[in-house]
Amino acid sequence: MSHDAFHGRLEDDRMVTGSGTYTLDWDFPDTAHAWFVRADRAHAEIVSIDASAALAHPGVIAVLTGADLEAAGFKSLPVITMPLKPDAMKPLMPFRPCLATGKVRLAGEAVACVIAETQRIAMDASELVVVEYNELQPVVDSLDALKPGAPQLHDDVPGNLYWDYEDGDRAGTDALFARAAKIVKHDLYNHRVVGHPMEPRCCTGVYDAAKDQYFLYSPTQGPRMQASMVAKVLDVPTDKVDVVAKDTGGGFGIRSAPYPEYCVTLLASKKLGRPVRWNGTRSEVFLTDNQARDFICHGELALDDKGKFLAMRFFIVANNGAYLAPTGLLAQTRSVTSCITGVYDVPVSHARIQLVATNTAQVSAYRGAGRPIMSMLLECLVERAAIDLNMDVVEIRRKNLIRNDQYPYKLVNGTTYDCGDFEGVLDDALKAADWNGFDKRRAESARRGKLRGRALSTYIESTAAGGIPDDAQLLFEADGTISLKSSSHSHGQGHETSFAQVVAGVLGVPMNIVKLRTGEAGMRVGGGGTGGSRSMVSFGSSYLLGAREVVKKGREFAAKELEASPDDIEFDHGEYSIKGTDRRISLMDLAKKYKGSAGEPHPLNSVGSGKWGMTFPNGAHIAEVEIDAETGVTEIVSYIAVDDIGNVITHALVEGQMQGGLTQGAGQILGEHAIYDRDTGQLLTGSFMDYPMPRAGMVAGLEVLDHPVPTKLNPLGAKGVGEAGCTGALPTLANAIVDALRPVGVTHFDMPATPQRVWQAIQAAKAGNPRALQTYTLEYA
Amino acid sequence: MAVKVSMTVNGKAVSHEVEERTLLVNYIRETLKLTGTHVGCDTAQCGACTVHMNGKAIKSCNIVAMQAEGANITTIEGVAKADGTLHPMQQAFKEHHGLQCGFCTPGMVMSAIDLVKNFPNPTEAQIREQLEGNLCRCTGYHNIVKAIKAASADKNVTVVGG
Repeated sequence: MSHDAFHGRLEDDRMVTGSGTYTLDWDFPDTAHAWFVRADRAHAEIVSIDASAALAHPGVIAVLTGADLEAAGFKSLPVITMPLKPDAMKPLMPFRPCLATGKVRLAGEAVACVIAETQRIAMDASELVVVEYNELQPVVDSLDALKPGAPQLHDDVPGNLYWDYEDGDRAGTDALFARAAKIVKHDLYNHRVVGHPMEPRCCTGVYDAAKDQYFLYSPTQGPRMQASMVAKVLDVPTDKVDVVAKDTGGGFGIRSAPYPEYCVTLLASKKLGRPVRWNGTRSEVFLTDNQARDFICHGELALDDKGKFLAMRFFIVANNGAYLAPTGLLAQTRSVTSCITGVYDVPVSHARIQLVATNTAQVSAYRGAGRPIMSMLLECLVERAAIDLNMDVVEIRRKNLIRNDQYPYKLVNGTTYDCGDFEGVLDDALKAADWNGFDKRRAESARRGKLRGRALSTYIESTAAGGIPDDAQLLFEADGTISLKSSSHSHGQGHETSFAQVVAGVLGVPMNIVKLRTGEAGMRVGGGGTGGSRSMVSFGSSYLLGAREVVKKGREFAAKELEASPDDIEFDHGEYSIKGTDRRISLMDLAKKYKGSAGEPHPLNSVGSGKWGMTFPNGAHIAEVEIDAETGVTEIVSYIAVDDIGNVITHALVEGQMQGGLTQGAGQILGEHAIYDRDTGQLLTGSFMDYPMPRAGMVAGLEVLDHPVPTKLNPLGAKGVGEAGCTGALPTLANAIVDALRPVGVTHFDMPATPQRVWQAIQAAKAGNPRALQTYTLEYA
Repeated sequence: MAVKVSMTVNGKAVSHEVEERTLLVNYIRETLKLTGTHVGCDTAQCGACTVHMNGKAIKSCNIVAMQAEGANITTIEGVAKADGTLHPMQQAFKEHHGLQCGFCTPGMVMSAIDLVKNFPNPTEAQIREQLEGNLCRCTGYHNIVKAIKAASADKNVTVVGG
């Protein structure tokens, strides 16, 4: 579909008129309301919890604590694990309770749940719950937490080290470093942010005693994925849990997993025999949503005397927070290193990543999930190499790009890139950005008293591969529509439109008779959720196969109807016909006529399925920024993104994903920052008053261009687009800002580029300290 | 303490006993069951709860229902025509892909209609500045800005309901 043909999505009418159904829009009779008592300190032993005054408060129905959950047999919130080499360290996965027992490990951790007739009563009564604590020293910085004598969070995580992960070939890498003509090193801090979907975390738990079935109404990226994790906590079979959702107000990776509160409301509903609703707030999002990033990064690049890359090695310390989030292992390790040497031809590499426990919120997958960590480190390292070796920033990249004749290209860690045109993408971007005209623009900015900087990044990322087959069901309904059922769940991507487009395209039927249904009670369909930019690659491909299966099945009925051999039947634009004749019948007429016996599934119903492999979206991004040295204010004046995301299904939706991802990256670079107080462990940036979200004025002049190289790894040729913008934006903007500051003496600057930090860096450079805003340094170890 | 509030919402007179501390947004969502108006924060920053009070955009989380006594309130449900025809601003958001998850959209549309009342032919810079009070996490705002610019050319863009 071309951009011109776009007139809106199938989901838009309800969303622009306020008729969407988000989690708190579900309304159940006889609902009770939950409110959580949260730890007001970051690290403490719980001495006692006295809920008697709360229970005596009019309108209070019950107060649940960790002891009630233990009595009910609650298990730990689960962590997604991955296959390991036999000699690798096993990750330590401490118990993560839904209500704290024994100890609290982060400010905001839920300690008790007050359930009352109204939300306001529950809120009031929660203040009457008296928790006596024995306070402990918190630790919020990951390097502090690794020091001998640091406060210890978990008895079963000695030294606060969840995992010491290694990727690649250490010995081979070190051997090439020993022979290198030049070694370039770079440190950076990829600071912590909060994901902030606009719909705060919330839920209604409904237990149906007659069916012994749990129904969780919650924001979700994948109902069955979430149900399976909830079932683990409740210690019941997965089939006993239904996650029900219609519209989900954003996700970005953070809404893939269940949260403690969800499981507590389900137990509360079972105990009370009523639906129990929890209306979470933005403050609770800040404190206890899965947070993101917080990686201290060190990279080294070995080059020969001609500027050719020989090897790379990395040492990274990741602050994983007080507990492991469900994606806290995968997103913090394998997702970081999956494209470890980027778009460059580098024979060997090694990475070590330590995952550390601190008294901060748990860290999970968030737009890019690990890949922006590596893209930022890698591109800042390459930029540093260009500067240190006095090479042109384009030429150092061009010289080292993987060439088109090198595919399939296997990285030392096993990742295999199937296709790409990295130099073609780079050239498109240079042209679109008028790369060679920059000096003139910089001089023009200087005349207005502004520092202008620019940077180029050539990034690549991997989309989430299919660990399990992703099923796509196509069901012919009595009302003349076709239902699509799958386990992914749109939280903004527009699946109702894009999957309908894939199916309608094959079947030759109008898009508006194709209805996507994903989060319904009772739905059992195999596959993963939405995440890792995978939905079009995987579910889109499965729908394509399912639709082709429908056409195949229909041919038999058409042959019967038209009294011809199936071999003589052709299908085109929704109609079967006998080759060379005008005898024809449409697929939908056929579906109406041959609907099978009553009570039986429609004979044309089909399922497409596949375990779709990892794909590799990539691109070249060029940003120009202007900095006011007097105020420290940074403005993005242009941003060109040329991306190869394979075949594009719906251009408008792809462009929207890119724009959103880029702006989310820009938000992190220009201001978003979750800052914890080092002494008390309190989150200092705990509201939108203190945490600068990107607003409409932040990124203008954004241009998104396609350079598609279709992959053969799936029948759509699609590579996935959800996270690419963010993966490209972090290094591009970070390097552009440092480029602007270099003429005034700043050689190193850790993000975010808030006016205050930029101004500080400029003042410090004037006073002789060019690296004042560098947060950490590490040695490769 | 319960108190009686009376106002006009989307052209209909409504009157209820509510707790004094009831926020206007809670009255709209929980008492009137008009769930198109959303709550995205607790500091009057995100604008998801934006409605019109006496023709002006306000954040309905930032006043108590009592303060709207006798007022004329329009929510997102009252913007389209009675026959379901979308308001030009709603139509523009749809056509320009100015929404993804849709959670901020009702507030955005309400703010945007007020915006074009105040700036009848807004520049891109004016739109971006005037949208300061509404947060969107999905779109990066680019298509929202385009939608508002396009809708501002429609002569009926400041008319709601009907």
